[in-house]
Amino acid sequence: MQFVCALDDVPVGEGVRITSVTPPIAVFRTEDDDVYAIDDTCTHQDASLADGWLEGCWVECPLHASRFDLRTGLVDQPPAKRPVRVHVATVRDGGIWVELSGEVPHLPPGVTLEAG
Amino acid sequence: MTTTPDATTAPAGESSLIPTLPGAAYVDPAVFDRECERIFEDMWFCAAHESDLPGPGAFRTVQVGRESILLTRSRRGELRAFYNVCRHRGARICLEDSGEKARSFQCPYHAWTYDFDGRLIAAPNLTKMPDIDRVDYGLRAVHVRSWMGYVWVSLAAVPPSFEDTVEAEVVARLGTVDNIATYDIASLSIGRRITYEVKANWKLIVENFMECYHCATIHPELTEVLPEFADGLAAQYFVDHGAEFGEDIKGFTIDGSEGLGVLPGLDEYRDRKYYAITIKPQVFVNLVPDHVIWHRMYPLSEQLTIVECDWLYTPDVVTSGRDVSASVELFHRVNQQDFEACERTQPSMSSRLYRDGGVLVPSEHHIGEFHAWVTARTDSQKADSQEGG
Repeated sequence: MQFVCALDDVPVGEGVRITSVTPPIAVFRTEDDDVYAIDDTCTHQDASLADGWLEGCWVECPLHASRFDLRTGLVDQPPAKRPVRVHVATVRDGGIWVELSGEVPHLPPGVTLEAG
Repeated sequence: MTTTPDATTAPAGESSLIPTLPGAAYVDPAVFDRECERIFEDMWFCAAHESDLPGPGAFRTVQVGRESILLTRSRRGELRAFYNVCRHRGARICLEDSGEKARSFQCPYHAWTYDFDGRLIAAPNLTKMPDIDRVDYGLRAVHVRSWMGYVWVSLAAVPPSFEDTVEAEVVARLGTVDNIATYDIASLSIGRRITYEVKANWKLIVENFMECYHCATIHPELTEVLPEFADGLAAQYFVDHGAEFGEDIKGFTIDGSEGLGVLPGLDEYRDRKYYAITIKPQVFVNLVPDHVIWHRMYPLSEQLTIVECDWLYTPDVVTSGRDVSASVELFHRVNQQDFEACERTQPSMSSRLYRDGGVLVPSEHHIGEFHAWVTARTDSQKADSQEGG
């Protein structure tokens, strides 16, 4: 588990990109005040999902409208085809803590781990 | 108000005829270019009705001078206006005349994506370019405001005073701004909209609207309803002069039949009268007891002008589905008659016979003031001093 940000840093209904981990992750706080963490980068093209639109437990990529399920990382429709990784997120003492997934991330073409 | 005895006669010792602009003013693309720069892109421009933008993300694109402007509302419902130009490589963002976006405006070329406040919210690889400021590279805003239920924009860096320009036109015609407030135009709804494509220079359309020397000849129905129009003097010739309905006329309708009552709160003495205002450079307003007819022009080239005309009634009349066709038909026919006359005139503007222009009779002499106004605004000396500054 590692601390990524304060709960107050993430407004309800929005997401925040966390760059202190590689590759960057996105932390979302749903309208029901549940907190989720997934890889921030869309698997189709380099776009920040934290800048996308959160609806229920789904986030829509701001570029080409593929939607990712925050609970499973699965994508609903092309152009993205591969899932994003899901990280275990918990809220403790007003902070958001994350257990990073050990899987290999599905990064889009041109995005490497070194690039961050 | 009474008719002044000399309105159709030149003052003693003066010529009955004064010149119009030369023909080239109506056909030269360079003149139109200058008018776009100095007039349409430098003043307040009536771009749409508020109801054309019912909510966040609803949009309309309009041509203002040489620019395509994107009108919308923010998430909070506030009016927004932007150049319809992607800040990346310049592709037009919205090609449609109108529509509604759920989330954002996205350039169809490289997917630069903007929110309804114009802010750049996403672009491919944007996270790798942290030095791109999302406001600096957001859609470029233009000034926007609402007046009389209409959305007005100004592309000027510093827009002119609304009071000294738009409202001053109302004062010049009606005496005070209060005299138009009595119609409570912002509260009215669009009962009918008709869009006309007029193959004529915008100035011919303004000139036509400013005079009534043609009324008895081309507007038989209108002259039946407003008999005094047969004297050739426009309602716009005098301050706060309403043209009186004919004795047997019950309403401002194609056949003089009953209209739709009287607008609530209208000054009593304005019943059974017609008033007209030209708000330079591109709006014409007609005020009658039961409705308001609001024209705005979108000049597209030196010889093509789109005119959008709204017939505005109380929301009650519109929602109840009352038949407005008899009142729409009267001014629709007037529009068709006027625009046909303008289209008949336009081809002659390039005739060698019209190189030095035509003439204005005394009841048209006030059109000379419009010509002087256009000339002053497009005057080349002003151009040089502006470019120098």
